[in-house]
Amino acid sequence: MSTVQQPGGVRGAVYDRGYRPYDGPRGGRRAATFGLYKATLRRALGIRRPWQQKVAPFVLLAVVTVPAMVDVGIGYVTRDRTQDRFSIITYRGYVGVSSALLLFVALIAPDIICPDRRQRVLSLMFARPLTGTDYVLAKFGAMVTILFSFSFLPQVVLFVGQTLVADGALDYVRDNADVVWKVPAAIVIMAVYYSVVGLAFSAITSRRIVAGATIIGFFLVTSVVSLIVVGDNVDGVTQSSAATLLNLYALPLQLRDLVFLGHIDPASTLHGVANGGAYAVLVYLAVVATGATVLIGRYRWAER
Amino acid sequence: MPTPIPLLRLSGVTKKYGSTTALDGLTVEVPQGRVGVVGANGAGKTTLFRLLLGLARPTSGSIEVCGIDVAADPIEVRSRLGYMPEHDCLPLDQSASDVVSTFAELSGLPARVARQRASDILDLVGLDEARFRPVGTFSTGMRQRAKLAQALVSGPDLVLLDEPTAGLDPLGREEMLDLVARLGTFGISVLMSTHLLDDVQRVCDQVLMIDGGHLIVAGPTESLLERTGVLTVDVGDGRDRLVAALQQRGLTATAIDDTVEVAISDEGQIDVVRDTVAELTLPLYRLSSRLTSLDEVFLRQAVHT
Repeated sequence: MSTVQQPGGVRGAVYDRGYRPYDGPRGGRRAATFGLYKATLRRALGIRRPWQQKVAPFVLLAVVTVPAMVDVGIGYVTRDRTQDRFSIITYRGYVGVSSALLLFVALIAPDIICPDRRQRVLSLMFARPLTGTDYVLAKFGAMVTILFSFSFLPQVVLFVGQTLVADGALDYVRDNADVVWKVPAAIVIMAVYYSVVGLAFSAITSRRIVAGATIIGFFLVTSVVSLIVVGDNVDGVTQSSAATLLNLYALPLQLRDLVFLGHIDPASTLHGVANGGAYAVLVYLAVVATGATVLIGRYRWAER
Repeated sequence: MPTPIPLLRLSGVTKKYGSTTALDGLTVEVPQGRVGVVGANGAGKTTLFRLLLGLARPTSGSIEVCGIDVAADPIEVRSRLGYMPEHDCLPLDQSASDVVSTFAELSGLPARVARQRASDILDLVGLDEARFRPVGTFSTGMRQRAKLAQALVSGPDLVLLDEPTAGLDPLGREEMLDLVARLGTFGISVLMSTHLLDDVQRVCDQVLMIDGGHLIVAGPTESLLERTGVLTVDVGDGRDRLVAALQQRGLTATAIDDTVEVAISDEGQIDVVRDTVAELTLPLYRLSSRLTSLDEVFLRQAVHT
């Protein structure tokens, strides 16, 4: 250190900081996993990245919030005309809008997984106190957090808005108290499902565009196959068929109905199939387990 | 006085990939300091690094890094290491500052400390002005510095540098070697893998030579640089006169470039050379025993094994 006498008697100091060893607190695997979780969230949301990377997530958030804002707006405009009041969306139906997030999954899941492999960043990550399972948990946690937030925030807007424009706020809250647990439960089911599938496909390839196309293609093909196998309605009557479960895109919606209705929706082609709800849960668990196995298997080489 | 913990302790380490033996029965103890791991391409250097990081298990044998058994606690080992791979490995669309601070967090440092240290380390490696630029816009030399920064940011006890001068121009290579040489003064041990023996000779005080998965020689760099029995004499323009005079006295002398090389078999012949220079009244700019280079040591040992 050298000191400098300045006019007026003020003394300044010039430090050559050089290299300073670090002897402060140092977290282990948990801290490393949380660090990767935060870095993944930032990447997915475009934080600390060029503005172009911020467009997709926040435009999508705005789009999925529009129905809630319109519904609240209708409630406000018709607040003095109870007989004219109508709603364009229900809480249960709004959870279904989350399936629109599939496009977001196809965009974000490859973006948070593929570059690590393509740019060979994994070798640096696993030179840290981080295992393959920790890596998967951090990526999965970040993906679920984003999907949950993007699905839940519009529901909060809807609930708070409707409460404010209702004739009796307390009555509205009391009448809709069940959505306080049903909405988050159903959204968690969907977020976990889409996250696992999206990340599993992204882990297989190092090319983002291939991963994104595979994710969309997978859900598209299974839904088309299901439609073909189930067939058209006969005389306007919906035919029950267990083949509905082949539609892996709509599968989480069956579980959503189990949460909201306690049974399969009568309008669904799964309705009428014996133990259809149980089968839906089993297929859901099988898909999630398969996705998790693929994910962990891809990073097992870093496991000790 | 307690015995200092060795940097590495390898006991009978063998690593096989199917029928291919990458490392074969390595047994060596290496003290703290700057250590060069030397070997041709495919010698087993990268495999050794993977074993030290706990990313691969030895087929047989045991490894201790800084006194910690890698098999028993690879996470603890990794928390004390920094690693700079040979290949490109940085996210290209993020700034150097973000990359380095993120890797500091991944090493378990608190977020605020990570950002501060990232700033300090980028300053140290000479990237202070470029810290907010995306890594994708960096030159090869700048990327190597950024890779070194991420290896140092967590304050490791040991850094593993895999071919740190690969792909650098002469100036960039000099700067990188200066940085590596400075690490010793920071109290950081270095394990530097390279096939450029000049790099090792310049910055490392210990050498491990590997060839075909076998350890062929290990020890202090100085002790490997043997005296060759050749005396190098620089007398300026009088070298031809000196060669003739020495040959008259029965010595084997040859003018090579600007110097004279004299084969000597005993210390007394050094006095003969000195006296001959004096008799010819030639200016004596240099009189030294030529040391063998690490290249010669490596080639000789590789042939013997």
